[in-house]
Amino acid sequence: MSQGVFDTVVLAHHEEIFRYLRRAIGAGGDAEDLSQETFLRAYRAFGALPRDANVRAWLFSIATNLAKNYFRSETRRRRAYGEVRATMRESTGPAAEAELQSRETGALVENIVQRLPLKQRLAFTQRKIHGLEYDAIGQSLGCSAESARAHVFQALRKIRQGLDGHGRVSEEPPR
Amino acid sequence: MTDTPTACARIAEDLLAAAIGEASPTAAERVERHVARCGSCRREFDGFRALDGTVAALRREALPSGQVAHAREQLETRLADLRRRLLAYRIFPSALGHILIARSELGIALVEYLDRGTSLRSSRLGREPGVEAVEGGPELEAAYRDLLEYLTGRRRRFEWPLDLRLARSDFQRSVLHATSAIPYGAVVSYAGLAHDVGKASASRAVAQALRWNPLPIVIPCHRVIGTSGALTGYAGSKLGLKQRLLSVEGIPTTVGSIAPSIRSEAMYVLYPGDREYCVPTCSSLGTRRPAPLTRFALREHAEAAGFMPCTACRPDLHPISR
Repeated sequence: MSQGVFDTVVLAHHEEIFRYLRRAIGAGGDAEDLSQETFLRAYRAFGALPRDANVRAWLFSIATNLAKNYFRSETRRRRAYGEVRATMRESTGPAAEAELQSRETGALVENIVQRLPLKQRLAFTQRKIHGLEYDAIGQSLGCSAESARAHVFQALRKIRQGLDGHGRVSEEPPR
Repeated sequence: MTDTPTACARIAEDLLAAAIGEASPTAAERVERHVARCGSCRREFDGFRALDGTVAALRREALPSGQVAHAREQLETRLADLRRRLLAYRIFPSALGHILIARSELGIALVEYLDRGTSLRSSRLGREPGVEAVEGGPELEAAYRDLLEYLTGRRRRFEWPLDLRLARSDFQRSVLHATSAIPYGAVVSYAGLAHDVGKASASRAVAQALRWNPLPIVIPCHRVIGTSGALTGYAGSKLGLKQRLLSVEGIPTTVGSIAPSIRSEAMYVLYPGDREYCVPTCSSLGTRRPAPLTRFALREHAEAAGFMPCTACRPDLHPISR
């Protein structure tokens, strides 16, 4: 096991994976812990990784799996759903209107992203925040590149709807 | 002229792709022509383009450095702990049956004959406390190749860094170190080795330490035999393997007997501290005890280990005939 090489991997990618997981599971979640878990898993498998592998995409797919497993726990799903409902009530109340107007659009986008269904949120974040290829995103989500692209487009449409105040953002609980 | 709603619906996908810069040149052109004459699609296009700009700004936003530093620090601690206990292994076929080779980041930590299957389940690795085993990669293949070269007589030394943490005690480690010093093509007795580690009366404990040698072949415990010349034991009950490894190194053993032994009459001898090796009948040996002797099958191996022919019995002029 080449210690020096893996140190370089941590140095190059840890912050980005941490940022990804914060969006994937929400800032209040266990993003820090999952970012560590991502690299511990990576370290275990690093020796067997083909030399020409795309290390960055591989790390994203490990992190994505951890995020999916994280939400598989029923209690977490309920809790996340509860948080979403609370946020939505707040953002549609009259007092919130003024606040929303004064908030930066970016923060509003982040807020809507948090309420997207899990696969859309993961695909959107990988593509639009981290610039990954659809092939890699599809692999991480266990779907085709075309489906990954459809998730991203769907996410963009919902974010636009949310921004315009037309229609409602999906009420599906994150999965 | 304005397009019909059907035309708008048909172009919706390309419109979004074009707004975020992912459309092919032809699709982008089609969208451009369409939005030039369709006001609602123009607004749609501009909306997506603005959103793309907002998202691009999010991409550049950094996390507070304190949070990143904290997460990194925690990661380093957990990684250091994992590194200490992780062993990467591979299982290879060989003329001696399936062999598991495992290494840590310090070096090769385990070479194990698997006699009850070909998976990790039949290895002691899964039962070692504080060890986490994972399937390893190509770095273990180099070790396997070296091992095969040794088994076919094309290699005499292993230049691997070793990790002796699977040894059970400091005493075992000292026995393993002393065993590593036995030259290729030579044998010593358990009693002789006990003498080397400063516990002359502990030959049974030495034998027990070698029984659990985590690195057979690499740490050549097959070169340690009984004082009488009997092969005694190897890795439990694998005397046949011991005989085979000795024959790789040119050491003659009695064939076909129930208790195989080396043919000591056909081997050169060396006393500890001496620089010269002798034929076993050399008069200079006198009545010295045989226990601490090192025996060589071939002059070539004695000389490769840095020893000279005795000037009294002249093994260079009168070699042992086999």
